Amino acid sequence: MTDIPRPGSAPAIEVEALSFRYPGADRDSLTGVDLRIEHGDFTAVVGGNGSGKTTLCKTFNGLVPHYWSGTFDGAVRVRGQDTRDRSVGALSHQVGYVYQDFGNQLVRPTVRDEVSFAPVNFGLADHRERTDEAMELLGVTHLADRFTWQLSGGQQHLVALAAVMALRPEVVVVDEPVAELDPAHADGIYAALTDLNTRLGTTVIVIEHHAEYVARHARSVVLMADGAPVWHLPVREAMERVDELERHGIPAPQVVQATRSLAPWAPVPLTVEEAAAHLSAHACEDRPEPDRPSEPAPSARAVAPAGSRGAPVARMTGVRHGYREVGGDLAVVLHDLDLTLYDGERVALVGGNGAGKSTLMRLFTGLKVPREGTVRVGGTDTRTVRPAALADQVCYLYQRPEQMFLKDNVREDVAMFPRGRGRPDTDTLVTDVLDRVDLTGLAHRDGRLLSGGQQRRATLAIGLAMRPALLLLDEPTSSLDTASRDAVIAMLDALADTIRCTVVATHDMHLVAEWAQRVLVLDQGRVVADTTPAELFADPGLMSAVGLVAPQITRLGLHLGLNPPPLTVSELLDRHRTTRRTRA
Amino acid sequence: MRKERDGISVEWVKLELLRTAYATRGGMLAARDPRFVIGWYLIFAVVPWFTHNITVLAALFTVCAAAVVLSRVGPLILGLFVIGFVVESLYVLFAAWFFGGDLTTVLALVELTLKLATISLASMAAFVSLDPEKLSDGLLSLHAPAMLSFGVSYGYRMLPVLMEEFHTVVDGHRLRAAPLTDKGFLGWRAVVRTATTLVQAFYPLMLNTAKRTRTTVEALETKGFTYAAEHPDGRRIRLAHLRADRWDHLLIIGTLLLVAASFALGQAYPLHGGVR
Repeated sequence: MTDIPRPGSAPAIEVEALSFRYPGADRDSLTGVDLRIEHGDFTAVVGGNGSGKTTLCKTFNGLVPHYWSGTFDGAVRVRGQDTRDRSVGALSHQVGYVYQDFGNQLVRPTVRDEVSFAPVNFGLADHRERTDEAMELLGVTHLADRFTWQLSGGQQHLVALAAVMALRPEVVVVDEPVAELDPAHADGIYAALTDLNTRLGTTVIVIEHHAEYVARHARSVVLMADGAPVWHLPVREAMERVDELERHGIPAPQVVQATRSLAPWAPVPLTVEEAAAHLSAHACEDRPEPDRPSEPAPSARAVAPAGSRGAPVARMTGVRHGYREVGGDLAVVLHDLDLTLYDGERVALVGGNGAGKSTLMRLFTGLKVPREGTVRVGGTDTRTVRPAALADQVCYLYQRPEQMFLKDNVREDVAMFPRGRGRPDTDTLVTDVLDRVDLTGLAHRDGRLLSGGQQRRATLAIGLAMRPALLLLDEPTSSLDTASRDAVIAMLDALADTIRCTVVATHDMHLVAEWAQRVLVLDQGRVVADTTPAELFADPGLMSAVGLVAPQITRLGLHLGLNPPPLTVSELLDRHRTTRRTRA
Repeated sequence: MRKERDGISVEWVKLELLRTAYATRGGMLAARDPRFVIGWYLIFAVVPWFTHNITVLAALFTVCAAAVVLSRVGPLILGLFVIGFVVESLYVLFAAWFFGGDLTTVLALVELTLKLATISLASMAAFVSLDPEKLSDGLLSLHAPAMLSFGVSYGYRMLPVLMEEFHTVVDGHRLRAAPLTDKGFLGWRAVVRTATTLVQAFYPLMLNTAKRTRTTVEALETKGFTYAAEHPDGRRIRLAHLRADRWDHLLIIGTLLLVAASFALGQAYPLHGGVR
């Protein structure tokens, strides 16, 4: 972080009295925006859904107003030049843009072709050097000849970024990089962005919901609300405004919350290590004893001892499964899997991309049958019945909600299953379920046109109306802002009465910490651990081996010597205070 | 009892389509310059229409069949072709007999079938050997509109995505639609159900695709796609790597010789049918 903006040089981005309204909209998306982003800065743009973050960032590369022609007042200048006087093509040499749905930004079949596409289109003589340089920069050279659809999400994101960097822009805008990636890949993207920022002096602008990433990587923060920046501050000052961030739907990082409560006089910490240092320094005399087995684990999340487990709901024995690849080889995804799910359990299935989580869940639906071994749901071997018959007991909700929308409105989608099975109470059931997920007012709309959080709730409604014994959810919280995420977790909490067993495949360790009772850790097609969230987070060796990162508060607890580590901020506060009192 | 199959299954069809589209099997034509492959194809697409001589057509058919073998066309495409060819031939015989035709009628219909079959074989051999980049560069160099050549490569790029999406939607219908209690006579209800599902699956598929394309279109703008349409530099660079070697010339010369030989054979041993 030694890069100091050169005095006197034109700012990377300068926005002056900017207002913008999309054609046909009844209110301005941006109103009176004044903003200055210095050359070489690493800026995070935060704010709730609909606060105008994405629209603002699209003015930087001229998509607004050249592509989205609405009512545009004021001025946006990139390195001193007005964007209205330049074309989108010309601006893309200065400002690169990586979309939230980056997969759709890749337009060519192979990686090399994708990265060289823009330099070739612009007829740049050094296109080959630029392509190699950009691939080298993002570490994707080894993927050069792969087809883009063969890549994992994280790799696709790096390729999209490389394609943007091939034009050597001075500014890159990245829209919600963490939304669709697992924690290990998200860290990889941020490491790459930090590297571009420090090594090349590229100005980086990220749109981000997760304050944790903002605190760790950004240098300044723009808070957007109602189409205008509330403030633009250096990151530490921004993080001090905990309450204000919270009001705008951006909860402060857990370490900030904890430090503010325990050591309000300490400066705001940006990382777990800083927080641990502050808390230890300010409370060094009364440091809690490590490992106090007498400490009662919070009763609600403790797994019932094996003897008192409910009846088995589903079981896998000796399951081996895999897919044929284009080359003809068999890629084995699951090896010798033995697994039983019990009545009343909340199970989180964790593991990196490609660990076999989705395959495992699909085997329970009967859409696929295993190559070896048996899968039983409620005593029925999935080989002996058609998937439609199993659907009475098992429901699988896809990661991307739009894959669940088969009809042209939410109500029809929810009613599809019960009506098809001739349930006499279909109408009451549908009304109840829609009410429960708070979508009654939007039930006549096409699911695809709802916001991310609403879509997720609509898919939950579809699942609830199927009244399954076993509910399987694939990444239910991905690409949601914090408020929608909390709403989904609360809804999952409330499901216990109608559903016997819920399994969630997720990268979201906050969801694991706050919701799950049992965690199955999957690595390369094998269950490497069957444990509780607290035990999992207390085992750093296992965590790093499977590419997981524990929530900040858990890591802070471990730094402070709390074992089992706390899973929520309030738990850490309680235990920290109790230990200090006991010591005193 | 259900079983995971590697043989004829939906997964296999998907893989076969990908192997065909992306020319993963290699073969004689796959290593050639795309412009020459397209040229090679055009020879066989045009020449059969200049003759009524069944000997010539049979010889051309044999040449194309050999090309199909050398180009390693996959079993799915080949199987579909063979089924189509056999059914067509049976139909020809049946139609000739039913309408009281004689040998002349049969020969006239055989002639048309042979022409169509030859062209189909040639297109299989050619397009199985062209991966998306080669095909789009080849079209661009032959002065096809930039939009067409890009459309071809983008279509290939979306193919796996769309197939996956379509499969997911169909699976959704399988799980959530009303189960069939009775398959009906010869399973006609199941057939009707499958057909309606396939049609209904298009609605979500189209809308989901439309949503994706919004980002794609914006991204294309920033990647200079419209700029390239107005400035020739990009086209020149993109096509710079296309270089024909002597094997490409040999391919065309060899093909022309074989075509000439076919006509010579037809002259020597004519087997005429249809209109003289």
